[in-house]
Amino acid sequence: MMPSDPGPDMSDSTLDTTLSRLTILLVDDSAALRGALRVSLQAFGCGRVVEADTVDRALDVLRANPVDLVITDWKMKPRDGIDFVRTLRDRRHSPVPHLPVIMLSAYSAEDRIRQARETGVDAFLTKPFTAANLAQTLRETLGSTSRIRAGADDAALATAS
Amino acid sequence: MANNKDVEVISAPNMLQIKVGGPISQGDLHLIQKAEEAMKDLRSDFGQWLEEEVVKLEAAAKVVRGTGLKGDEGEQLFVCAHDLRGLGATYEFPIITRLAKSLTKMIDMPEKRAVAPTALALAHVGAIRAALSQNIRDDNDPVAAALAGELETQTATFAEPWKDD
Repeated sequence: MMPSDPGPDMSDSTLDTTLSRLTILLVDDSAALRGALRVSLQAFGCGRVVEADTVDRALDVLRANPVDLVITDWKMKPRDGIDFVRTLRDRRHSPVPHLPVIMLSAYSAEDRIRQARETGVDAFLTKPFTAANLAQTLRETLGSTSRIRAGADDAALATAS
Repeated sequence: MANNKDVEVISAPNMLQIKVGGPISQGDLHLIQKAEEAMKDLRSDFGQWLEEEVVKLEAAAKVVRGTGLKGDEGEQLFVCAHDLRGLGATYEFPIITRLAKSLTKMIDMPEKRAVAPTALALAHVGAIRAALSQNIRDDNDPVAAALAGELETQTATFAEPWKDD
């Protein structure tokens, strides 16, 4: 797991009370992996889990549904997770440019993680995932208050924020 | 990739945190146990789910056997191996993650696929199939451990000129 902003001090809120209020979108072309994530998130008490097997379907879901957090795979076709996040962070076309994103991938090399960060990914979860590292990544994402973005468009985004 | 001077650290509003009323605690071990129990309930499905993924890998391997690893055929084999690398351990077959990791290491770039030995790639596919079919889940099995070690050694020798994960 990549080092991330620890965020502010943690309170006594637990994952189940926290996640019960949230809708999480899972984007992965593997139904099996979506199933494992869904079961884990439901055990954590997540209020609603919605799924998409392609980036374009995920964008359709986001246009039609309020979503609080995205967990997306990296390696997908025809569009991959980085392309998805790039689209998501583009204020000109995205309905939710600030939506927190956890990137799920078997990639673990530093330059890959840096690329994901620079594209706008908030946290990185290495596959194969476990319930423990999924929970930890959710905590980090919920507690994080800063992001690293690159490029002029995101500077404009920061100004608007 | 952006240069450092183009990178800005910004403080975006964390709408999630606003919505949930604050950050969450570290005291969620019972939830992790609950999730692990829920995953155990799916155990009977794990083998079938992996079977579907291994069938995809074998189909890609069948094509590669005729064409070699160059081009879209080799990339498709990589995609299948990459998926299995991510799934194996989650579905209680860490040996499949280990074997798939070795396979992805040798074919994760077009430059590698252009020169990678097809027979070595196919040997990985055969080992993954054998592990699933014989229900060999981890490297506690001495034969599986030896086989995985040998494949990793050959892959490392081949992939040594490239820097990768």
